[in-house]
Amino acid sequence: MIKKIGYAIIGLSFVASIFFVYHNYSFYDRPIAEVVKTTLIDSVDIENEDQIFTQRLLAELKNGPAKGELIELTNDYSLSGANDQKFQLGSEIFVSINEDSTSSELTGSIEDIKRDKYVVIVGWVFIFTLLLVGRKQGLFSIISLVVNAVLLSYALDLYLSTSGISLLLISGVSIILFTVISLLLVNGLNEKTYAAIIATLLGTFLSLLITYIVMVITNENGLRYEEMQFITRPYKMVFMAGVFIGALGAVMDVAITMSSSIFSLYEKNHQISVEALKKSGLEIGKDIMGTMTNILFFAYISGSIPMLLLYLKNGSTWMFTLSMNLSLELARALAGGIGIVLTIPIGLYTAIYFVNRKRARA
Amino acid sequence: MNVLIWLAGILLILMILVGGHKGARSFIAIIYNFAVILFTVLLMTVPNADPIIITIIASTIISCINLFYINEVNRTTKTAFISTVITIIMLLMFIFVFTEKSMIQGFGEEEIEEIGIFTLFIGIDFIKIATAVIIMSTIGAITDTAMAISSPMREIFIHNPTISRKELFFSGMNIGKDILGTSTNTLFFAFFGGYLGLLIWFKDLSYSLGEIINSKVFSAEMITILCAGIGVALIIPVTASITAYYLVKARNQNKH
Repeated sequence: MIKKIGYAIIGLSFVASIFFVYHNYSFYDRPIAEVVKTTLIDSVDIENEDQIFTQRLLAELKNGPAKGELIELTNDYSLSGANDQKFQLGSEIFVSINEDSTSSELTGSIEDIKRDKYVVIVGWVFIFTLLLVGRKQGLFSIISLVVNAVLLSYALDLYLSTSGISLLLISGVSIILFTVISLLLVNGLNEKTYAAIIATLLGTFLSLLITYIVMVITNENGLRYEEMQFITRPYKMVFMAGVFIGALGAVMDVAITMSSSIFSLYEKNHQISVEALKKSGLEIGKDIMGTMTNILFFAYISGSIPMLLLYLKNGSTWMFTLSMNLSLELARALAGGIGIVLTIPIGLYTAIYFVNRKRARA
Repeated sequence: MNVLIWLAGILLILMILVGGHKGARSFIAIIYNFAVILFTVLLMTVPNADPIIITIIASTIISCINLFYINEVNRTTKTAFISTVITIIMLLMFIFVFTEKSMIQGFGEEEIEEIGIFTLFIGIDFIKIATAVIIMSTIGAITDTAMAISSPMREIFIHNPTISRKELFFSGMNIGKDILGTSTNTLFFAFFGGYLGLLIWFKDLSYSLGEIINSKVFSAEMITILCAGIGVALIIPVTASITAYYLVKARNQNKH
């Protein structure tokens, strides 16, 4: 019965949200127009590398006082499309309407693209894939993601509204909350989870300490903060907080793997010696160490590919391109890797401690 | 690059202390992977080279490093490898369609200012580059999940040699379900940490919800996170079915 209600709720919210993003024009203050006709009017070659096209668009306004009227727009786009795009029939665009345009023939300019539909659709594909593959566990991962995102957003609001509290303190508290919530949701209320929570927190804060000491010793030599985008705040703090929130997921993964396997070894054989537990635990740790550091490495470095291409294609040298674009990403990946490797022995000994405690009580 | 050398040195020492030989191999694998990424970027700068094909080749090489070099060539890593390649190709098509539709390629207006000195007309299809970026950022997690499923499946098969293909598949799915939560978590936090600056920026400049969700940078990040999650979930049934198929097929062949 609960299952059926659950399916019904998911189905209903799917239909409702898709309907909403296809009909939410009136919720936006900015005028939105849908392209109904495109004409290519010009094309220019650029140094044999690229081509720039000019498109004349006729679009129908979807909201505001001029709803239903047609507006004429001009769009320039290149083959690369690094900061421009070709519009097709049905593309939806935020526009600004020229004030001096006559009412019979509105003209205007393109401001941005309406992307909310696609974010929502990909979001639903994500939800359905997770539910189909993971069922209950899939549902818990979705809940954990949403709760953590809300928590992060709330923590940032708190940071921005009270100028007194440092970002590091706020992220420290958030890290504790993230860890407790995610591990409880993924793994339930039991001793395995407690061991993993303690190991995660120890591993994270120890690697934070190591990274901080390295940064102090080297005077942050080699870190190019100027590559940090979107910075309105003290960049060093934002960077450090980002490093540790970023590594947290991987560290939790290692901690839970270590504690689950130690506990399952103990469950299978209550007489197993501490030495045997240590040995098997280390073997498991060795197996996951490489792949876990790789996950972080790829997640961080790949995002820089477009910038690397832009620098190289504009004639920058490899040395300059790499040092300008990768220093922070590499530091992030390495600091995260240190956290992962440290958590292997920490997770092992915490789990053994909990096993011993359980043994003493039995 | 002083900080980086220090951090890399500490990581190497810790990996050797904890992991011995295998730890050293894991560190070398990171260096190989880094070289593959740089080489991929180099190939992408070649005029008329198709970034999608380059990405498929690069992901194949990276899976080889992550599966065959860190571990070894055996039936487990082979099935994990095949599953990875199949999943990557399925994911590529899906991501390409949505990057094209949502036009999240290239740089957002927030980023354009700082790169004002550069020409953006460099003759590289940025829609394909955006697709490549999403695939490359997930490949580590995908190979990890594939390995984490196919390896215990082989153990189960060894302990129950008469298990049917269907039962083996479902035990693989059960293992997958257990690791789904932690794998998606790993990726989400990695991305949250990377986008912390962006989130503070949006909040500081008091963007409205409508502006945030439609902006290129934010929707690109969201679609990346979601596609990474889809990839990690998708690899589970793919690996479970391919591993079940091959293990049972090999057993049946041995009988005859």
